[in-house]
Amino acid sequence: MPVQALVGHRSFLTLLFGTLLVLPAVANQYTLFVGNLMLLYIILALGLNILVGFSGQLAFANAAIYGIGAYGTALLQVHLGWSFWAAAPVGAVLAMVIGTLLAIPALRLSGIFLALATLAFAQATQWVLWHWQSVTFGAGGFRTPSPSFSWFAIKQDYGIYFVSWVTTVTLFLFTWRIMRSRIGRAFVAMRDGEIAAQSLGIDLLAYKAMAFALSSFYAGVAGALYSGLLGYMSPEGFDLFQMIIQKAMIVVGGLGSVVGSVLGAALLVYIMEFLREFKSTQEIVFGVLLVGFMVFQPNGLVVFMKRWLPGWEEPMHLPERPQAISKPDVVEGTTSGDHPVVERT
Amino acid sequence: MTTLAVDGVSISFGGVRALDRVSATFRAGEIVGIIGPNGAGKTTLLNVICGLNRPDVGEIRLASRVITGMKPNRIAGMGLARTFQTSQLFAGMSVLENMMTGLHLRSRAGLFAAALHTRRMRAEEAELAARARGALDFVGFTQFADRAASALSFGQQRIVEIARTLIGDPKVVLLDEPAVGLSVNRVAELDQLLRRIRDEKGVTLVMIEHVIRLVMGVSDRVVVLNSGQKIAEGRPEEIREDPAVIEAYLGKQVDAGRAAS
Ligand SMILES: Nc1ncnc2c1ncn2[C@@H]1O[C@H](COP(=O)(O)OP(=O)(O)OP(=O)(O)O)[C@@H](O)[C@H]1O
Ligand SMILES: [Mg+2]
Repeated sequence: MPVQALVGHRSFLTLLFGTLLVLPAVANQYTLFVGNLMLLYIILALGLNILVGFSGQLAFANAAIYGIGAYGTALLQVHLGWSFWAAAPVGAVLAMVIGTLLAIPALRLSGIFLALATLAFAQATQWVLWHWQSVTFGAGGFRTPSPSFSWFAIKQDYGIYFVSWVTTVTLFLFTWRIMRSRIGRAFVAMRDGEIAAQSLGIDLLAYKAMAFALSSFYAGVAGALYSGLLGYMSPEGFDLFQMIIQKAMIVVGGLGSVVGSVLGAALLVYIMEFLREFKSTQEIVFGVLLVGFMVFQPNGLVVFMKRWLPGWEEPMHLPERPQAISKPDVVEGTTSGDHPVVERT
Repeated sequence: MTTLAVDGVSISFGGVRALDRVSATFRAGEIVGIIGPNGAGKTTLLNVICGLNRPDVGEIRLASRVITGMKPNRIAGMGLARTFQTSQLFAGMSVLENMMTGLHLRSRAGLFAAALHTRRMRAEEAELAARARGALDFVGFTQFADRAASALSFGQQRIVEIARTLIGDPKVVLLDEPAVGLSVNRVAELDQLLRRIRDEKGVTLVMIEHVIRLVMGVSDRVVVLNSGQKIAEGRPEEIREDPAVIEAYLGKQVDAGRAAS
């Protein structure tokens, strides 16, 4: 087997998902929990990268949408007595519907204004979780029922873990394929130039709505799984710091890279657990990572992977830094473009 | 046969009347040059045609259907493509992907087909890639297919952009200063390319250009704008002699030493 095949993105993915698959056989309960978190964050990072990295929408609502998926799933069980298996899909779809509506402001707003609008939405969601006590139980949170796996003859921890694993691998494959299709190209086109994209017939409304729908569906699915995993729900899990965690994952991994989302999520969950005892240190480390990468390597770790590992062949859809494009051709004797240029007669 | 008609179009931005009752018709398979001083309204005319700006009054017809006020992506779907004054390649894609994006409207695969990687979706992707390579071949750029678009020189990007507009078999192509920033040799190549596009593809080419030698050489007709108004229209040799055009534009010649070899 050539060396390339051994040190590429495929081996990274096989190793990571393979390890996560056999983890229940070797790990204690805590490690299994961390592995499960890693799976959920991979889903979150994939979804956020579709929206931010591929489609170029500077949105900050992902943590709130994640919360809506989680709360939706948990509250349907608590208030209406639904089973987890009925509540989880509905919670995920609810998150998707609400997230898709965010495409409407995104049509008129871009860049910093979209960021502010989605931040406001996230804060409003937090407010609802804190203050609509009769429904959400407010700041104190509430216990969520454990999903039943009686039909599966498997212990509950393992149950939610394997459901998470299968979901994550499936969504990873879907993302990989969608981003390499005409849909993914439409997303990247929208990111790299809305006007040119439109002139090629790409319907901005449709594709923005699709990007928001996809990413909020992923966040909703992760939220639903999270409610099944944790057994306890409170608003803090979906606050601004949660948003920073997710943002840091895709920036560190690589904006516009499917494998980068996986890499960033896996790495940062590891760091997060390493610092579990010190929440304030966590916040500093994540903030520094986010800002550091944005300043020094805005295209993330995949750039190094691509440079150093010969088998890392993911097609690059990285956002370019503006100055990288438009190298002048030949300087001598070029036409200027701002006067009529006529030969001497 | 008229493919594109602009009928009494006016548009103002704040106090600036960028277009003032401009009318023009463009026939199938001809090259029409649009010239005029800076700020004359040339780019605005293209923007109004392709739907980026909505005219205050007037009507635009593409193949006798009224397209005034339609969204750009719909107008694109009716067979109109354009390039821009600055390069608008998608910087984060390869050249081939840029070309395949030009076939967006000629392909169907939806979200689920893509996610499930259906046989039909894969067949379509392969066909898109083949057509994209074919279109790159037309401009002699096959070897650049897998390069990052941003790795091309400015002049190469302009050519890929033209190829990308042609790939979806449009009826009308609008080019905004395709020669800007090109070296003299490249301008000569562009000249040849434009003629080949007209002769082999039969599309209507509407080209804004400041390089007078190019625009006078390839155009079948030339339209001259000044301060938002059409001041002349005719064959290149008529336009060269037109006193109003010389007064408004051609008289302000730049020493040709820089552009002509
Ligand atoms: N979106 C806009 N908002 C405000 N003013 C505009 C807008 N677009 C064009 N204008 C104004 O309309 C006038 C015509 O501009 P236009 O870009 O069409 O000129 P042009 O003929 O293409 O010039 P150039 O040769 O420099 O490209 C200018 O005065 C310009 O400032
Ligand atoms: Mg212009």
